[in-house]
Amino acid sequence: RPINHNKEPAAASTNSSSDQITRINWRVPAVFQKTMPVIGENPVFLAESLRSASNGAIHLEIFDPGEIVPAFSITDAVRDKKVVAGYTWLGYDQGKIAASPLIAAVPFGMEPWEYSAWWFNGGGKEITESLYKKYGIHPIYCGMTGPETAGWFRERIKSLDDVKGLKIRFAGLGGQIIERLGASVTMLPGGEIFQALEKGAIDATEFALPIVDQALGFSDVAKYNYYPGWHQPFTSSHLVINLDTWKSLTRSDKAIIEMGCTAAVTRNLAHAEAVQGEIIANFDQIGVSAERLPLNLLKELKKVASQVIEEEAQRDADFAAVLASQKKFLSNYKHWKSLAYLPRNFDEL
Amino acid sequence: MSSDGRAENRFSDFIDKLSLKIGSIVSYIWLVLLCVIVTNVILRYVFSEGRIELEELQWHLYSIGFLFGLSFALTTDSHIRVDILHEKFSPELRAWIELYGILLFLMPFCALIVMFGLPFVMSSYEVGEVSASPGGLPLRWLIKASLPVAFLLLAVTAVARLLRTWSFLFNNARINK
Amino acid sequence: MGANEALAVLMFLSFILLVFTGYPVAWILGGLAVMFTAFAIILEVDFDLSIGVDWFFTSLSVDRIWGVMENWVMVALPMFVLMGLLLDRSGIANQLMIGFSKLFGRVNGGLAIAVTIIGLLLAATTGIIGASVVLLALLGLPPMLEKGYDTRLATGTVCAVGTLGILIPPSIMLVLMADRMSMSVGDLFLGAVFPGAILGSLYILYIWFFGLISPEKAPAAMEENFEWDILLELFRAIIPPAFLILAVLGSIFFGVATPTEAAGMGAAGALILAISRGKLNLGVFKEVLQETTKTTAFIFAILVGATAFSLVLRGLGGDELIERVLLGLPFPPTGIIVCILLATFLLGFFLDWIELTLIVLPLVSPVVASLGFDPIWFTVLFAVCLQTSFLTPPVGFAIFYLKGAAPKGIDVATIYQGVWPFIILQLIGMAVIFNFDSTVTWLPSRAYD
Ligand code: NA
Ligand code: NA
Repeated sequence: RPINHNKEPAAASTNSSSDQITRINWRVPAVFQKTMPVIGENPVFLAESLRSASNGAIHLEIFDPGEIVPAFSITDAVRDKKVVAGYTWLGYDQGKIAASPLIAAVPFGMEPWEYSAWWFNGGGKEITESLYKKYGIHPIYCGMTGPETAGWFRERIKSLDDVKGLKIRFAGLGGQIIERLGASVTMLPGGEIFQALEKGAIDATEFALPIVDQALGFSDVAKYNYYPGWHQPFTSSHLVINLDTWKSLTRSDKAIIEMGCTAAVTRNLAHAEAVQGEIIANFDQIGVSAERLPLNLLKELKKVASQVIEEEAQRDADFAAVLASQKKFLSNYKHWKSLAYLPRNFDEL
Repeated sequence: MSSDGRAENRFSDFIDKLSLKIGSIVSYIWLVLLCVIVTNVILRYVFSEGRIELEELQWHLYSIGFLFGLSFALTTDSHIRVDILHEKFSPELRAWIELYGILLFLMPFCALIVMFGLPFVMSSYEVGEVSASPGGLPLRWLIKASLPVAFLLLAVTAVARLLRTWSFLFNNARINK
Repeated sequence: MGANEALAVLMFLSFILLVFTGYPVAWILGGLAVMFTAFAIILEVDFDLSIGVDWFFTSLSVDRIWGVMENWVMVALPMFVLMGLLLDRSGIANQLMIGFSKLFGRVNGGLAIAVTIIGLLLAATTGIIGASVVLLALLGLPPMLEKGYDTRLATGTVCAVGTLGILIPPSIMLVLMADRMSMSVGDLFLGAVFPGAILGSLYILYIWFFGLISPEKAPAAMEENFEWDILLELFRAIIPPAFLILAVLGSIFFGVATPTEAAGMGAAGALILAISRGKLNLGVFKEVLQETTKTTAFIFAILVGATAFSLVLRGLGGDELIERVLLGLPFPPTGIIVCILLATFLLGFFLDWIELTLIVLPLVSPVVASLGFDPIWFTVLFAVCLQTSFLTPPVGFAIFYLKGAAPKGIDVATIYQGVWPFIILQLIGMAVIFNFDSTVTWLPSRAYD
């Protein structure tokens, strides 16, 4: 007789004081530690709101990376039903699902609300669901932060020449792009970055939001912090659920989980936007200089980015399909975007 | 009778020889690893060129080395025991511990890794998994396959050990060494 | 206590008892994972109790072993082992250690002090516990035994100094802890500097004192008086290998190279040194390579077994049990800290530091913060506590690694006896750090200004 994954393990019942029977009790491995500001706190917020909204019937137990599943194995584990759900940044699956960076973070890509528009109203949700169906996974858009910093550098970046030969830690498509400009890219795991940067084994690194990076100590050892976050104008996270399990849920449970995730997206973005300014304002005091990358370097990066993305599209049909969907959406959206918003530097004009 | 309570056995002899052979071949991997690291260092510090494929090759080599080393270490009895009481036990008692240890602990663990390691490799093969880093190595299923294969080899080596222990306990033909 | 927690407790106890059968630790860990999964399923299917562990869950062991395979940091381990074996089998290590100890002239226990100093340097570079214990055992143990040192003092020194590697920065353990606690790795590194130095000094004082009391068990390296030409001669003998080791350690310390690169270059240097001194023929080299395989394999076997064991233990709710017990303690804040440290120490008997850092640290950190203690101070104490637990019988990972790398004929019982004095030193060190929190907090407060 197969084991019922939805059945309540005894351990959890001790925490739940409600009389209601727990209908859903999942172990959910998360891709960032719960203690990480913003990005780690979001799945905890999700679990808490689902729990109170369902009066204890939906219980997600969030696990830190490596606690039960290594961070980069979350989607595999969900597909094979070793755990029924996970909270992850899909871009880490680049090696298995070539199109995944488009779902998770696109260099020079959409901005957070643009992504939401594409996901909910521009066919993004449908095309992503059908892509992940092949892998037995149901993805739900469940977290969003704005741009990340373009990285922490030990030396100032004045031109393209300063990128050549630079030893830098960089993940995803962004890594491919900066490699084309002559940087030597490595992909050290998060825990090793500080030491490598402090000791000069690497010259620079990107990782996440200023508040996260500062908590990891990068601001202590690399004094030049660069913007804009060209490689990741949006950073979306997803709750991935085993497809069979998802199908077996009642309509009401599905609705509660979807609502919880939609709320988590809003709150995650709000949180991320709210706390970065203070961190940057404080940079002067700790001797960090926050600067923008030179414009010609950005232009060069953008040129290479579109080359890399086109090449990926030629290599992989799914990548091409998702890219086409995003381009189609943006071709209409751009008219609105270019007219409706004040210029970014309007206050300074 | 050998000191660790095992007796001679033709099948076991064959397997042990095989395991030692594989172990001695696999051991050269450390020399290869050393060369790869040195090459990488020279490229990085002399030509300031970082090669992801060489960095990945390093952990590919190291994981093959330690995984295939597991059975080699079993044959040469190098795995760590808390011998505080063990060394005072009679050869018979030690043989019984070995027998139950293999049957109840080592074999089931090997079975777990082999059984679930195969679909792990298959799904990597099916999606054509490659490295997630730019310029990383392709054919990820190949390195993943070293996990179940190494544990299969470990299981076969354990069978050889089991048979020796069995011969020692239940056959009269104990051979003095 | 629920059925699952009863199983978790039973699983702990089984491990402790079974270890004494003398069956390899690695397979007991892995085997128990499978066995208790089967028990959980039987309880679930036949007795309708909900446990929450099944084959799907336990099969995550495969993904976790893959996590070990992918771990770039660990590549340094076999290279450090290879370097140690090359220096050992070519006789260079012996020459180096004896020569180095002659610098201490007629001081009894000079060789052990030399081992401690080399170990401290080593500590400052690897932070991989298996690597530093094994490398130190290969470099330091044979010369000490040859000189007629008491086996217990020799093994105890190597074991204790080897574990100091995980405390003295840079250390992978501290990196992971900082990660868990969301604190700056730099601050934590600096916080660990004085405690590491305090422990190192305590070791040296003890050895020196031991040599004063029982000179026959820790003989001096030199009978004759100190003379300058002896010193010159010594320098000629020890400079090339000492330079090699210092180059490796220095390149990591000053950030010229990553640990993997330095370990690889160190092994290459040892190979060249051994060949140039004509101390290495093909037969010895093959043996060295095969020994590297065995040593690396027994370390990773334990890692692999422990990862399966702790997965199942966690699935059975072992973490929640620990959490409940800790948080339910009826003590004042200081008492709770002591209890947390004590629990960590006891858990260190059967869990790896990775597991402990993952399980206990995030669990207790809110408690510590809410009690108003400095998180860096606490984390350093936690680290010292873990380091001590690796030394503690019956199950100490450092003891196992040393046993694997030590010359034949040294049994676990001898090592058990050897580590006791050092455990007492650890407790003294911990008491100092506990009572004088400035030993931890002063340096980080001065840095990066
Ligand atoms: Na260290
Ligand atoms: Na211990």
